Amino acid sequence: MTAELINEVFLAAAALFVVLAIMMFYRAVAGPTTQDRLLAVNVLGTNTVVILALLAAGLDEPWFLDIALIYALLNFLMAIAISKFTVERGGVL
Amino acid sequence: MIETGVAYTLVIFILLAAVATALFRDVLSAIVVFGAYSLGMAILYTFLLAPDVAMTEAAIGAGVTTILLLLTIARTTRPSADRLFERINVPAVVVVGAFVLVLMTLLPDMYAVGDSDAPIWGGGVLETTPSLYYVQETFGDTGAQNAVSAVLASYRGFDTFGEAVVVFAAGIAVLLVLKREVFT
Repeated sequence: MTAELINEVFLAAAALFVVLAIMMFYRAVAGPTTQDRLLAVNVLGTNTVVILALLAAGLDEPWFLDIALIYALLNFLMAIAISKFTVERGGVL
Repeated sequence: MIETGVAYTLVIFILLAAVATALFRDVLSAIVVFGAYSLGMAILYTFLLAPDVAMTEAAIGAGVTTILLLLTIARTTRPSADRLFERINVPAVVVVGAFVLVLMTLLPDMYAVGDSDAPIWGGGVLETTPSLYYVQETFGDTGAQNAVSAVLASYRGFDTFGEAVVVFAAGIAVLLVLKREVFT
């Protein structure tokens, strides 16, 4: 009973974070500058890690955490690539 | 119950991201928003219990796609962003909408997730489950010792051939974008 309740709380938290992701997406669309959009998508990446971890706890599927780890490791790549692109135009790698 | 809620909210997020990616006038912004789309898709794949696809989406979507697209726009010119969104091309929307409707007619024929009548459990179509069939009959059907090789190169040989063509074309495209003659 209590274990099920705790799982449901985790799932409800995941649902709440998805709603928050949609609200964050407003900033990614509205901008006004590319830097705003980049930061918004970066926050969305962190959000994704949290959602995956909450789903792993709520659905009792520990392998969800592997995907969360991959995201946690790779989340910075896009920010670095676009930062380099804007500073020295064309220098991505 | 809550799970379906999470899934539907995710689908809304993904749809918003896809539409925004398609409509952005500024290419750089479209690339950034496409990253958000990829994040949503990875969660959805995980949700539908496809860990391999989700890991690929995480690795490709978070890093490689962005860098390749950035390299491409660094080599080309960006149209000036005089307005935020592209004007909607009505005939294209009609064609795409009709195509989506055609695809949706296939939905009633699909089995629900975990349905015990689905072919993967052998329901009604085969005498055994498909995996058991491959374990038992692969050597007799194809003469290959390794069941995985038999599936890749014999049962779905044309599919593998098509995949190889796609990967080859993608490799050539990458070389063209990077302006290199060989991979070093």
